[in-house]
Amino acid sequence: MSSNALRALAMAVLALLFVAIVLSVPWPEGDMDSTTSEDVAKTLFGTTGAEGYGLVLLLIGLLLLVALLGGIFLAKEESE
Amino acid sequence: MIPIEYWIIFSSLLFAIGAYGVLTRKNAIVVLMSIEVMLNAANINLVAFSSYHSALHPSTGPDASGQVFALFSIAIAAAEVAVGLAILLSVYRRYQTIDVDKINILRW
Repeated sequence: MSSNALRALAMAVLALLFVAIVLSVPWPEGDMDSTTSEDVAKTLFGTTGAEGYGLVLLLIGLLLLVALLGGIFLAKEESE
Repeated sequence: MIPIEYWIIFSSLLFAIGAYGVLTRKNAIVVLMSIEVMLNAANINLVAFSSYHSALHPSTGPDASGQVFALFSIAIAAAEVAVGLAILLSVYRRYQTIDVDKINILRW
C-alpha cells in the first residue's frame, strides 16, 4: 500500500472516530440560537465602552499591519 | 434549526479533509490551503458552540463570543497567509520549487 493511501486511511479512521465520539455524547436538548449581527457588534464593542473586545480588535489591526510589512519585506527582490 | 451534532460532524470532516491535504500534498500552496480548511473547521466549531450555549442559557441573553473569536481567528489566518505566501515566494526565487519534499533546508 502506498504511503498516500495509508495517510488517506488514517484520516478516514480519524474522521470516523470524530463522528462516533460526537454521536456517543448525550447532548442536552437545545436548539441553536439565532444570533444577529447586532449581538455580534454588542459583544465586540460592548454596550458601555469599558467592556467588549475593542482593544483586542486594535491589537489585531496592528498584527495585520506588521504581517503586511513582514510579507512585503520577505517577498522583496534582493538587489545584487 | 440544525442540531449541534451535525455542525460538529461537519467541522470534524472538514478538519479531516484539511489534515489529509496537509499530509499528502507536495505543493506548499495546497498545503497552506489545507491548513486554512482546518482553521475554518475550528471557526465553525466556535460559532456552533457559542450559538448552542446561548440557546441553552437564554436567561443570560444572546452571547456572541464565539462569533467574535471566529472573527479574530479569520484575521489571524489572513496574517498567517500573508507571511506564508511571502515565504513561499522567497523560497521559489531561491530554489525554483515549492515542493515540500524538496525544500529541506530546515531539516536537521
